[in-house]
Amino acid sequence: MKEQHSVIGKSVPKIDGRVKVTGQAKYTGDLKLSNMLVGKILTSPHAHAKILNIDTSQAEQLPGVKAVITHKDVPDLKYGISPARWDENIFCIDKVLFVGDKVAAVAAIDEEIVYKALALIKVDYEELPAVFDPLEALEEGAPLLHESFAGNVNTEIHQNFGDVEKAFSEAYHVRTDQFVGQRTYQCPIEPHSAISVWEGGKLTVYSSTQSPHYFQYYIARQFGLKMGDVRVIKPYMGGGFGGKLEPTGLEFAGAALAMKTGRPVKMFYDRHEMFAHNRGRHKQIMKITTGVDKNGKIIGVHADFIMDGGAYTSLGVATAYYAGAMLPLTYEYENYKFDMIRAYTNLPACGAQRGHGHPQPRYAFECHLDMVAEDLGMDPLELRMRNARQPNTITPNDFKINSCEMEACLEKAKELSGWQEKKESLPSGKGIGVAVGSFVSGAGYPIYRTNLPQASAVIKVNEDGTSATLYTGAVDIGQGSDTVLCQMAAEAMGFTYEQMKIVAADTETTPHDFGAYASRQTLMSGAAVKQAGEEVYQQLLEMASMMLKTDFRDLVCCLGMISSKTNPEVTITFAEVAREFFVRKGPLVGKGSYTPPKLGGTFKGAPVGTSPAYSFCAQVSQVDIDEETGEINVEEVWDVHDCGTVINPSLVQAQVHGALFMGVGEAVWEEVLFDDKGKIVNANLGEYRLPTALDMPKVTTDLVFGDELEPAGPWGVKEVGEGATIPTMGCYSNAIYDAMGVRVYSLPLSYEKVWRALKEKREQEQQG
Amino acid sequence: MYLPDFDYHAAASVEEASNLLGSLGTEAKLIAGGTDVMRMMKEGTLALKSLISITRVKDLKSITHDQEKGVVIGALATHNEVMLSPVLQEKYMSVCETAHHMANNQIRNIGTIGGNIANAVPSADFLPILIALGAEITLQTSSGSRSMPLEDFFVGPRQSVIKQDEILTEIIIPEKGFSGSNYHKFGLRRSGALAVVGVAVAVTMEDNLCKDVRIALGAVAPTPVRVPEVEELLRGREISAALLEEAGQVAAANCRPIDDIRGSKEYRQDMVRVFTRRTLRKAIDAGHV
Ligand SMILES: Cc1cc2nc3c(=O)[nH]c(=O)nc-3n(C[C@H](O)[C@H](O)[C@H](O)COP(=O)(O)OP(=O)(O)OC[C@H]3O[C@@H](n4cnc5c(N)ncnc54)[C@H](O)[C@@H]3O)c2cc1C
Repeated sequence: MKEQHSVIGKSVPKIDGRVKVTGQAKYTGDLKLSNMLVGKILTSPHAHAKILNIDTSQAEQLPGVKAVITHKDVPDLKYGISPARWDENIFCIDKVLFVGDKVAAVAAIDEEIVYKALALIKVDYEELPAVFDPLEALEEGAPLLHESFAGNVNTEIHQNFGDVEKAFSEAYHVRTDQFVGQRTYQCPIEPHSAISVWEGGKLTVYSSTQSPHYFQYYIARQFGLKMGDVRVIKPYMGGGFGGKLEPTGLEFAGAALAMKTGRPVKMFYDRHEMFAHNRGRHKQIMKITTGVDKNGKIIGVHADFIMDGGAYTSLGVATAYYAGAMLPLTYEYENYKFDMIRAYTNLPACGAQRGHGHPQPRYAFECHLDMVAEDLGMDPLELRMRNARQPNTITPNDFKINSCEMEACLEKAKELSGWQEKKESLPSGKGIGVAVGSFVSGAGYPIYRTNLPQASAVIKVNEDGTSATLYTGAVDIGQGSDTVLCQMAAEAMGFTYEQMKIVAADTETTPHDFGAYASRQTLMSGAAVKQAGEEVYQQLLEMASMMLKTDFRDLVCCLGMISSKTNPEVTITFAEVAREFFVRKGPLVGKGSYTPPKLGGTFKGAPVGTSPAYSFCAQVSQVDIDEETGEINVEEVWDVHDCGTVINPSLVQAQVHGALFMGVGEAVWEEVLFDDKGKIVNANLGEYRLPTALDMPKVTTDLVFGDELEPAGPWGVKEVGEGATIPTMGCYSNAIYDAMGVRVYSLPLSYEKVWRALKEKREQEQQG
Repeated sequence: MYLPDFDYHAAASVEEASNLLGSLGTEAKLIAGGTDVMRMMKEGTLALKSLISITRVKDLKSITHDQEKGVVIGALATHNEVMLSPVLQEKYMSVCETAHHMANNQIRNIGTIGGNIANAVPSADFLPILIALGAEITLQTSSGSRSMPLEDFFVGPRQSVIKQDEILTEIIIPEKGFSGSNYHKFGLRRSGALAVVGVAVAVTMEDNLCKDVRIALGAVAPTPVRVPEVEELLRGREISAALLEEAGQVAAANCRPIDDIRGSKEYRQDMVRVFTRRTLRKAIDAGHV
């Protein structure tokens, strides 16, 4: 059933488009407060070393320096995503754990003096043996990073659903493959920055953050402040992709410096420091085994993974669970086993990056399934169709799936790409591949343990009724949530988008929301906004019915005009009624909040991966490989999504294109590289190669819709932001195989790796 | 990263710049577009007390054709000025194309051809094509000047024969009657990537006979290099697919690349083989492209 909508479903212009294009939008780094100091963090030059002594005296004496702080000046409380794994301090106390670890900080009257002061801080280190490889870190006798984590095991997961061993013993065919996913970094265009202001016992932090609330929570906790005395404000933002979800040294050290000096302190990371801070995608070593029956029906899967977490937990415990949790979303099978160890190494900590834990396992699984299909002599797309998840099913790890158009996505991608014909007729050197993806539309459980609702919203109609302001804690990091939430508010209120204003992502003026991560805001923040809008609508119609002396149930409001269903002559504007409401009753306000239903099973780790609703997608790509150089030219991509009801078609397209951009980069180019001392060798945009506009393939996007709306989302919405990143790496790998008959078992699928695989194949053929 | 303090001198003439370089000594350097100098100073890999800008010296920017000398390119011509020069587009489109595939538009707007040469980086894109075309350069001081073939300028990575007070003023491509030339930069993405290998050729063909050929490689040795072995192999021969493949193999066997983050030695060597063959084919078939 398709509902009629007046505001949602339309590509209205972005609410912040004009200020961004004209350069008026102020990002955190643009803000200047009077009396503001500049702060910077001194970081470790060693991957693993004892701190013997820190001498700040010379730096303190430099004219213009207002404060120099070390671990002695800040609380020694550890932080991280979950109490069991709090393992990071504001500044290192006894030892440093990676090149870039935080040691001290300076605040001074300008940037130049800060840099000079940093150079004057003398730190004596005693270097310790370091470990940079997760497998080596797990070996006996490896250098130990944290005393309380024996064997460098940060997280260990063993989940077992059904009986995988039995499934394998009964399977017609069982196959195991191993793949490696690389370390990548989010590379948001806007560098991290934060301005801390300490005034009258209250701390205000302007920060480039994906979650003001989460920052508020941890900053308050670190400094023993009431949450109410910490205000976090997010100015305009230039991307995050997961890397700005947790507070960094910029907020913690900045707050301490502001408290010490009594002056506002601006802190920032430059591009190199962003790479060193990292919190990007984990490297994963992924062994995967699948058993199928004669018809290609999957009957059991075993995922056996190891990930390199770097020096701290960051958000990585969630990443580790997500890596296995999301594999069963796309295909139906009952027996599933997931083993994972997240190891500590002396490298920058890894965290959440778009698709959180899922893209690499999905690459491994999708490549592996193509190989299973080949063993069975079956078309790989056909194998996927046979296993595609159906709506209203439950995964082996107890995720309840409502709407699910996995099969329709595959069908549509097949049709759009001309799969059948291309499979048979593409010349040698060209090939096509398929892969799928799925993602949560918001995590079912909050980012830290709390019973707060996931999202809330308030809408206040202006006194004269000509505009309305939405107050929401939801965070627009560039993806357009301010725009879609205003569309949703207007739709629910019977109002127009053009008259909507928004105040968002400020912990003091806007109601609580957990922020931009886990693709949660369209569904979760949207649900709260819808409720708030409906409350306004209700009150407005009640007032209108009094004014018009008609039955309340006979009235409707649409695009700012109230009319009678039975008598088209009777109309009155939203504005008139809203004004009268204010005169008689005071502010016209609606509020809403959203808490998901209880989700998931009871086993250890069961909450990770739960969600009210899941998106699905299928991607087909066509590549042309230069057989002499290994160069990969992606000629075209067909991307089909089941993302539920669309609020803004342009923004869906933008998310899909952006996700493909990241997928392309991670598939072919991006990798953070280190020297043998753990120092990053490509911490810049020249050698850490993101794709350029010229590298983007032609892409055709399409959407599929089921007969029934997703019941869990307002108007049936789901996510598209992260899910769209997921299929690309596997899809390209499969296309390369189709073109050349070679498989590259590690990411990125660089030209040289393809060249080497082709060379080895030729050599084998010559021998054989 | 923070740019350390330095003195900035805006010289009005080559003489003034040369005198300043001489009197300030090795802690002073020229700055043209600054795309390399600024980056290195910020990173701390280059420590200087003074920078002497020559961007005010306007007559170092022109690109002209001189009946006697050939094409004369001012050292201060930016990559975009090279790319858009009518003279070069008519005579050596291959040089324009080289500029077109360098860096990105922002860098092409300020980076100069003189800086690209004086930098003496083995992967610099202008070097192979200019060497293949037999370019000469002029180095000037306040008291005089000298010229030399470009290929004799380089000593090692970031090392050349330039003296402290010398300024590269012009690059001259003499008329050698080449029928075709081409440079291929093999980089790891379509824009903004440095060369993993660069191959340039200039040929003089008479029907299918190779009368003359010059081949220069970038990013495979401490300096850009000629490969005389391949040139000898081809000179005076009828061109065939097999001969071009052999040329590629000989080129690969005669270069000394290293492993780095952009590619292994082995990969680079094989790419030299492939692109020597392909670049030759292009210059033979399509002229100056
Ligand atoms: C993002 C980026 C991408 C790049 N991509 C490429 C690329 O694709 N290919 C490539 O080849 N290079 C590339 N480069 C390197 C650089 O931009 C070029 O080498 C450029 O040509 C340098 O010219 P410049 O005028 O900026 O030199 P500057 O930085 O001003 O100077 C470089 C050196 O040359 C000396 N110098 C400059 N002019 C003269 C002169 N007339 N006489 C004597 N000495 C002189 C200076 O003293 C200095 O030592 C890139 C750089 C960046 C930052």
